[in-house]
Amino acid sequence: MTLAIHIAVLELKRYLSNRGELAFGLALPVVLFGLIYGVFGGGVSFHATANIVDLDGGPGARELVRRLDASDEISVRERTLESARAALDRSAILAAFVIPAGFSEAVESGESVSLTFMRRGNGGEEGQIVATIVRRMAQDMGREGRVRRLALASLEGAGVTPAQVDEQAAPLIADSWANPPVGVDLAYLEGEEGEFLHRVVPGIIVMFLMFTITLGAQTLVEERRLGTLERLMTTRLGAAQLFAGKFSAHVLRGSVQSFVLLVPAFALLRVGGAVGFVQVALICVLVAAAVSGFALVIAAVARTRDQASWSAVFLTMFMTIFGGTFFEIDGGLMEILSRFTLNRYAIESMVSVLSRGEGLLDLGAEAVVLAGAGLFAVALAGALFRTSEGRQ
Amino acid sequence: MAESQNFLVADGLRKAFGPFQAVDSVSFTISRKEIFGLLGPNGAGKTTVIRIMSTVLKPDEGRVSIGGLSVTGESDSVRKLIGVCPQELALYPELSAIDNLVFFGRMAGLSGGEAKSAARDNLERVGLQDRARDRVEQFSGGMKRRVNIAIALMSRPQLLFLDEPTVGIDPQSRNHIFETVEALRDEGLTVLYTTHYMEEADRLCDRLAIMDHGRIISLGTPRDLKAGIGDPERVTLEDVFLESTGRSLRD
Repeated sequence: MTLAIHIAVLELKRYLSNRGELAFGLALPVVLFGLIYGVFGGGVSFHATANIVDLDGGPGARELVRRLDASDEISVRERTLESARAALDRSAILAAFVIPAGFSEAVESGESVSLTFMRRGNGGEEGQIVATIVRRMAQDMGREGRVRRLALASLEGAGVTPAQVDEQAAPLIADSWANPPVGVDLAYLEGEEGEFLHRVVPGIIVMFLMFTITLGAQTLVEERRLGTLERLMTTRLGAAQLFAGKFSAHVLRGSVQSFVLLVPAFALLRVGGAVGFVQVALICVLVAAAVSGFALVIAAVARTRDQASWSAVFLTMFMTIFGGTFFEIDGGLMEILSRFTLNRYAIESMVSVLSRGEGLLDLGAEAVVLAGAGLFAVALAGALFRTSEGRQ
Repeated sequence: MAESQNFLVADGLRKAFGPFQAVDSVSFTISRKEIFGLLGPNGAGKTTVIRIMSTVLKPDEGRVSIGGLSVTGESDSVRKLIGVCPQELALYPELSAIDNLVFFGRMAGLSGGEAKSAARDNLERVGLQDRARDRVEQFSGGMKRRVNIAIALMSRPQLLFLDEPTVGIDPQSRNHIFETVEALRDEGLTVLYTTHYMEEADRLCDRLAIMDHGRIISLGTPRDLKAGIGDPERVTLEDVFLESTGRSLRD
């Protein structure tokens, strides 16, 4: 087995020394993920900068600025009044919001107070949306202040101090922010399982893993071209060790490649939690093993780069198209063909984990198919290699 | 020559690729510490013979034994006795010279320490110790050829196959390779050497076989072969070669 490990290490060394392959395998998935994030944005459809002029500077004003900056939709840029006017004059910005002096005092006492919405023209769509958000947050703060004042008034004479009221009210207010009594759920047209991203993310990951077939299919052709395969065949290395080594290297490479996609998918697109991450990562290892096995079957029989490339392209395309990579399979011939693809089992497994909250142990058939396909394929590859090379 | 002295025995080897008979009834022996030359025009079957003897190809007929072990029946044991320097530069170009040697040393069953030590020794032997850490892809043709030979020595072989080791290199590198091969012979290594260059064969080989169309058509010491067509002091091996294989163009 030691020789197999050396083959695996060699394969990884060569991979890491090839900048083109590194870019293809690791950088491109990140670029693609960036594009997906740009399109789907983790479910957030709006983000803008709010130009804020704080003429008050009191605790109420600072709290408003903090709340705005903490929201998903807004980043705050604070300006002086002069700077905001100058930027509006030269159309560098279309809207700015002025927190007037006395804002904090008014909020504290529950009195009415107005922010000023400075704008060029109508402030632009973005400015108007930001204005709505700023207005809502400021009004929320005003209501909180008014409720506090009314509570103090009603408790007057009961021996309750304002500090005691604040102590009681603060956690209740924080809780109402964290768990608003009325929420808005997102509903997607695609699929009954739930979120669109729960199918797209597995689709992208599996598609990239499929490229392992193209890269892996070349491995023996390249060794033949270099003359190293024949040299290896005069050493103590057996076919089983050769294939075990190459298989391990490709599984590791595919797994790392899928983790590169999984990490931002879970961190930014929030497609699942920590347990889901671990489960999907394990599924990725199974898929990487299966595609590596398929790659080595092609590698064992291909004699030229073209044979290896086109066989891999055909297999990848077949499985991507008929495996329901980006859509649900809905019966018919497609349903039958999909049973002969790894994509179906891989994506169904991941969607089950992400959308239905199922665990790995619930994925009996899919997991068995993926693991079995990898082991069967690598064994078949070794046998084909021995036959085709006339290996003794 | 007594059978017991023969380190390699090839008897009645035949190998065909489809309708093409690449090797046809080839028989010869090589004794220990001998440098045996295999000459012949392109397509004569020299490389196929080496591929059979180095366990890469199975012969259709015939048998080969190395150190008393059957190449077909005991190939794993035979591989422990041989080192192969193929005609192609069988190297990983993106790796350094020492990484190439250490890797093939591990494939030959050496431990990590043994492989590193042997790699340093063999790089020194071929005059590349100062370039050990450089990527092979940055090397000249002659340097790559020398790395190719150094790798073949990593298994500490008793029999070394050198398949046209001096193709396409400058005279200095060629001379360095000659000296390396002579030093290896002095250390007791047995060598099977193929080449197109007659002066190489004349300088290095104790005995020669000239192959054409898959068959051995002449076999003997360089002096015997030259004496076969004239005065051995005046006749060259090239004269013998052309006399044996004809003057018509090949390839």
